[in-house]
Amino acid sequence: MADGSGSGARARRSPGAGRRRSAGAGGSAAASGGAEDAVREALAGLRQEILARFPAAREGAPRRDLMELFEELRVRLGTLGMREWSGEIDDFGLDLDALETARPAFDFLLDRWWRAGLLHASRVPEAGPALVVANRSGLLPWDGLMLAHALERLCPAAGRPRFLVADWLMALPFVHPAVVRYGGVRACPENTSRLLRAGARVIAFPEGQRGAAKVFRERYRLRRFGRGGVVRVALRAGVPLLPVGVVGAEEVHPVLFKITGPARSLGLPFLPVTPTFPWLGPFGALPLPSRWVIAFGEPLDLDGLSAEDAEDDLLVSRLTLELRRRIARLVDEGLKARSGVFA
Amino acid sequence: MPTVAITGLRTFVGQRLAERLRGEGEPEGFRVVGLDLRRPHRLEGRVRFQRVDLTDPAVPLRIAEILEKEGVEVVVHCAFRTFPTADVEADHELETIGTLHLLDACAAARIPRLVVASSTQVYGARPDQPAFLEEDHPLRGHPEAHQVRNLVEVEHILDAWQARHPDTAVTVLRRCWTVGPTVDEPITRYFARPVVPVVLGFDPRVQLIHEADCLRAFERAVREPHAGVFNVVGRGAVPLGVLLRRAGRRPLPIPGPLLRRFGELPARVSAGDPPDAFFDYLRYPFVADGSRAAAAFGEPVYTTQEAFASFVGSRRMRRYR
Repeated sequence: MADGSGSGARARRSPGAGRRRSAGAGGSAAASGGAEDAVREALAGLRQEILARFPAAREGAPRRDLMELFEELRVRLGTLGMREWSGEIDDFGLDLDALETARPAFDFLLDRWWRAGLLHASRVPEAGPALVVANRSGLLPWDGLMLAHALERLCPAAGRPRFLVADWLMALPFVHPAVVRYGGVRACPENTSRLLRAGARVIAFPEGQRGAAKVFRERYRLRRFGRGGVVRVALRAGVPLLPVGVVGAEEVHPVLFKITGPARSLGLPFLPVTPTFPWLGPFGALPLPSRWVIAFGEPLDLDGLSAEDAEDDLLVSRLTLELRRRIARLVDEGLKARSGVFA
Repeated sequence: MPTVAITGLRTFVGQRLAERLRGEGEPEGFRVVGLDLRRPHRLEGRVRFQRVDLTDPAVPLRIAEILEKEGVEVVVHCAFRTFPTADVEADHELETIGTLHLLDACAAARIPRLVVASSTQVYGARPDQPAFLEEDHPLRGHPEAHQVRNLVEVEHILDAWQARHPDTAVTVLRRCWTVGPTVDEPITRYFARPVVPVVLGFDPRVQLIHEADCLRAFERAVREPHAGVFNVVGRGAVPLGVLLRRAGRRPLPIPGPLLRRFGELPARVSAGDPPDAFFDYLRYPFVADGSRAAAAFGEPVYTTQEAFASFVGSRRMRRYR
C-alpha cells in the first residue's frame, strides 16, 4: 500500500473521512469483509450462470430506475464516511474493526507524514493502566490520536489507549463519531476514572482549551495545567502518571489568529485562521507535514501516596507543578532534537 | 395479603404490574387497588378499581380515604403520559400537579412506601455528559421537552417531600426506553416507521430495556423495600445505525438545522414539542449506568441487542432484501 496510494489520494480529501477511505482503497485485506466478499462472489457467479442459461433474461433485465438510483445516493450520502464502521463498539465507543481498517492510514501518518521520532521510549511501562499527561497543541486532536497510536505500538500489551477530547468536539456532526470510534473520550473525571478502573491507559491534556487555542507565536509555551484534576484522578485510581512532551503538533495547523464571532454559531470555540485555512477551503484544513518528536518522561513518583492524598490540595498543586515542569523540559528536549520544523 | 395502590393503571407499567402482582391466586399475591380515569378491560374483575382524576383539586382527600380504607402499604405512581400530547398545560396539570395531589394524600394516609416510575430522560442528552450517567448526576432534562420538564420537577418535588416525611421510603425507578413484543411507546413507534429520520452525522449508542426486565425490576421494587433512586436500564448499548439495520428500516439522515426547521410543525402537532426534544436523545450520548439497579433488583436478562431483536421479531419488521 505504502506511499503511492496514500499520498496521491491524500491531496483530494478532507481530514477525517479521508483517512478511512484511503485505508479502504489501500487494499487492506481486512478480515472483517472476508465472509461478505465470499457471499458476493457466489452471488455474482450465480447471476452469470443465470444470464448464460437464460439469454432472454438479459433483454428483459430491468433498467436501473430512478428510485434505485435515489436509494443508492441516499445510502452513500447519508452514511458519509460512516460506512466502514462495524457497529461493534465498546462501552466508550471504540470500534476495533474500524481501527484495524484505519491502521495503515495511522501508520502512514505517524511514520511518513509526520515522521515522528520517539525519545526515551524505554521509560514507558510495558503494561498496566496509566494516566499519560501531555501538552496540548492544535484545535483538532491529532496529537491525542498519534500519541495513542504510538503508545499502542510501543506497548501492545496495554491495549489501545484512549485520549481525552474537549466538549465542543462532541457536539459536531461527523467529527464526533469519528473521534469516538478511534478512541476519543469526552474529557471529564468520571470517564477518566472509569477507564482507569477498567485497566485502560488514558491520555489527558490538562491545558485543555487554553492549550488548544494558542496562536503560532506562543507555541510550546505551556499554559496553566488545570486545577489539579488530573493528579487527583490518578491518585484516586492508584495509577502512575507519565509525562510526555509532544513536539510538532503545533505546526500542523499554525493558527495565526482566531476569530470568535461567527464561530459560536457553528459550534466551535473559535475559527482559526492559518496560512491555508480558510482561504483554500476544506483543503486548507489538511494537516501540514511537520516533523514530530514525542519525548517520554519518567513516571512521576507516587510511591507512598494513596487515594486520601487526593484531598490534600497543597500536595496536588505541588505534583501538578512538577508535572508541568517535566513536560516543559521534555518539550524543550524535543525541540532541540529535531533539526527543523519540516525536516 | 398486602395491598398495593397503582395510579395510572392504564399505562403499560401500571397495567402489567397490576397483573403480575395480582398473581393467579398464589400466596405471594397482592391485593391491587387501581386508580385511573377508566378501568382497562383486561383487568376487569381482577383489581379493585377506583375512578380518580388526579387533576381535581379535591382529589387528595378522596385518595387518602381510599388508601386508608383499603389499608394500602405501597403506592406505585405511574400516572405519566406515555405519549406527550400537544396540550402542554394539561400534561403539566396531570403530571406535576397530579403528583402533588398524590403526595398530599400519601402524607395524610401515612403510606409506608412509595414507588415512582420516572425516566432516564431526566438526565438530559447533551454533548458534555459523561459516558455513563449515574444516579447522582444533576438532572438537567431538556428545556424543550415538556414531559421531561415535568418529570424533573416531579423528582425535585419528591426530594423536598421526602425531607419533610422521612417515614415514607421513596423508590424512584428511572427507566430507559422500553421495547418488546407488546409495549407501545414513542420509541417503538419511531422504530416501526418505514423510513426513520436520523440526525445526519451522528451515530449514538442507544440503550434499551426489554419490557420483561423493566417489569421485573418494578415488581421487585414493590415486593422488597429499596429506598433511593435506580436506573432501570438494559445491558449494554448499541449504535443507532446498527439497530436500524437490524430492523430493516431505512434511515433518512437529515441535517440538524433542517430537522429543526421542517420538523417543527409535525412535531408540535403530535407531541407539543419541537423535534429537538426527541432527536437530541438520538444524537448525543445518553447512556445510564444500571449497576445500582442490577445490585438491588438483579441483572437484566436481556441485553439491548436481544431486547431489540425480540421487538423486531414480534412485529415481523425485518423484510428480506
